[in-house]
Amino acid sequence: MRGRLEPAAFGRRLATLLVIAAAILQASCAPKTQDAVVVASVSDVSSLDPHLLDNNHPTGSLIWSLFDSLVRRGPDGADLPRLATSWERSDPLTWRFHLRPGVKFQDGSPVTAEDVKFSFDRMNKPPFNTLQQLWAQTTLKEVRVVDAQTVELQTAQPSVTMLYWLEEAFIAPKAYYSAHDAAYLNSHPLGSGPYSLVEWVPGDHVTLTANPTYFGGAPAIKNVIFKVVPDASARLNGLTTGDIDLALELPPDMISQAKTAHSRPVEILGLRKLHFGISQNAKLTALRDPRVRQAMNYAVDVAGMIKTLMHGSTVPLTSVVNPPNADPNLTPYGYHPDKARALLAAAGYPQGFDLDIDFTPFWGQDKDVSETVAGYLNAVGIRTHLHADEWNDFRRKLSDQSFDGIFYAGWAALINPSVELVIFTCKQEDNASGYCDPKFDDLVHRANTEFDVDKRKALLDAAQEIAWNDAYWIFLWRAPVYAGLSDRIDYQLRPDDYVEIYLAKPRH
Amino acid sequence: MFGFTVGKLLRASTVLLGVSFLAFIIGHASGDPVLLLVRGDATAEQKAELRHSLGLDRPVLAQYVDYLGHALHGDLGVSYRQHVGVAGLIRSRLPNSLELAGAAFAAATLLGFALGVLAALYRDRWIDHVVAALSVLGQVVPGFWLGLMLVLLFAVHWRALPVSGSGGIAYLVLPALTLALPTMGRMARLVRAGMLEALGSDYIRTARAKGLGESEILLRHAAPNASLPLVTQAGLEFGDMVGSAFIIESVFAWPGLGRLTVNAVLQRDFLVVQGCVLVIAVAFVTINLLVDLAYAWIDPRVRAR
Repeated sequence: MRGRLEPAAFGRRLATLLVIAAAILQASCAPKTQDAVVVASVSDVSSLDPHLLDNNHPTGSLIWSLFDSLVRRGPDGADLPRLATSWERSDPLTWRFHLRPGVKFQDGSPVTAEDVKFSFDRMNKPPFNTLQQLWAQTTLKEVRVVDAQTVELQTAQPSVTMLYWLEEAFIAPKAYYSAHDAAYLNSHPLGSGPYSLVEWVPGDHVTLTANPTYFGGAPAIKNVIFKVVPDASARLNGLTTGDIDLALELPPDMISQAKTAHSRPVEILGLRKLHFGISQNAKLTALRDPRVRQAMNYAVDVAGMIKTLMHGSTVPLTSVVNPPNADPNLTPYGYHPDKARALLAAAGYPQGFDLDIDFTPFWGQDKDVSETVAGYLNAVGIRTHLHADEWNDFRRKLSDQSFDGIFYAGWAALINPSVELVIFTCKQEDNASGYCDPKFDDLVHRANTEFDVDKRKALLDAAQEIAWNDAYWIFLWRAPVYAGLSDRIDYQLRPDDYVEIYLAKPRH
Repeated sequence: MFGFTVGKLLRASTVLLGVSFLAFIIGHASGDPVLLLVRGDATAEQKAELRHSLGLDRPVLAQYVDYLGHALHGDLGVSYRQHVGVAGLIRSRLPNSLELAGAAFAAATLLGFALGVLAALYRDRWIDHVVAALSVLGQVVPGFWLGLMLVLLFAVHWRALPVSGSGGIAYLVLPALTLALPTMGRMARLVRAGMLEALGSDYIRTARAKGLGESEILLRHAAPNASLPLVTQAGLEFGDMVGSAFIIESVFAWPGLGRLTVNAVLQRDFLVVQGCVLVIAVAFVTINLLVDLAYAWIDPRVRAR
């Protein structure tokens, strides 16, 4: 009988079809091409325009790969030559930079002082000036072309942070960046950096290939793919299967899983300083009394929390400034609940007071840390009330200085004492707790214009001592940076989250 | 039929207008994007300048009318974050989403149909129980977890498929399967019920009496009747898939519309959010419109209602 099909036969045919489908799928899995090094991050770059750089990673890492700045920031904060081979100050307001001879952009045109002037001027125009701080922070007034290889920067006030900000100011060719529109330049970068762009598939990956004519020599790793893998377990899985060589931004409780047959976990001390900000604008006047703030520091067992919550992989803060610029005379408060109670009583709060604690997921482990700290504060008589904030709401309170009590936050993944200390200067945008101490301000501002190394250090140390002894924060620890690295490459992570992939080396 | 169609179209455009307005208002109510755009140390003047250059200092209603006018011409504005046109961003992601949704939908329908038929044929036998278990499992297990388990098994343990990302067909299998399973389960149950009802009905008995082959009875008589409810279900399932895709695309790093939307929400890039919501709403409304029209066309009783 034509087409007769018993139910059993129907099942068998279906099974056959499924097997065939599976075989086709298996065949369509191309063998892994493993010549490129794959870096996996949570998010995609926002733009490949060097002057729209908005974060250290991933956008910053890509810009560092495609472009050069005049000065390179070493992982320890040192100012190193890059496109500029040397620099000097002809007077306190004038900086002179000498460009490296013979450097070419990737289209073959030479890098000249004109390109430097064009790039810096471009950074001072909207929309770039909303993201780039070079002009605002250094009081830069004018960029002058002295000759093809020399450029002069004129500032309104002496600026010790000039080199710091130049390290984030990238040089783009004037001809190319004047000839194309914003949308095109957004995805068609042209620089002089160690890598050039092969393709950017937004939301998925950016592929780079080594620049054979790079002034520092072509990078050891020829092809690099920056891949977007939002899910942490997916990044770990990729590390396990060998699809990913550098899995970034792993949460602390997953880091041990990065140890597989052909990959290893890496962790370094980051630069972001975790703390509780103490609002000075709150109705709660207790927070304006230094004794109360010191009491809160004595009440919290930071070393104990590092052991239990941070797997012992970080150290307590000793200043609002990162080493090596931290004042060496400062030491952690330590866990002394009795001192805390005594200080509270001396300040007139023997019965404690009610305290709001705000936190948001942005800095990680927000809930665990906040609840633990709340527990310690309760133990010395402060009655805490925890509030989990949505990030935008939290960000608004940071900006408005409108917290009602204390808030869990991280500050400044950078090494520059002047930039780090601005957080407590009057009317500064980042000053979320609303401190305003003219004495502190004076020290920071004088340090900012003091070129003498020793005098400057004395000013910075004095400012650090005020912030530390008056307990401007509840000081916690430096955020560790966790990643997983495949055994195919060697790479030294930077504490500031930038990835300089051109420094990675294949392992033999 | 004409009046019915016009009525449905009017209703659909009202829904879209409402959605666009809500998306716009919610975006504006959720906070100040300027704060999230500038670096932490930007000055108040810089913020004001940026706010002005983005047109965010104008009355909200004026901004909305402007937005709507441009949207009708296909211009959805410029992303605050990525500095490129929203329409272009969506165009670059839409094919990926359609690919994923299409594959998932095809897999769900075909597998659901096959399993439903099998379950009905082998009613109360082990195969029926397996299908029932699968359907329930597909619906109760959260998509992100199922996705991770499939990855562990197929990609990490057996190395048969890639972990995540996009590229060839191999990349499509796991996300599509994860997205398909809940729908497949519902489809299978629906088809099974329909088949059982059909197989017990008079016209099947007549067909058997005529001496038709079992496969012909199944495929020509029972199956078409049993699959009618699938048309309605298809429209409903689409909405479900859009919802799951938001999570699945993140788990598998699939560069689709869902990821674009989620990232835009996290970054307060709300012109992108509005654009995505609008496009998804248009797709949703269009599919439901087509389902309604198809149903009315198939079944005249609906038109009279």
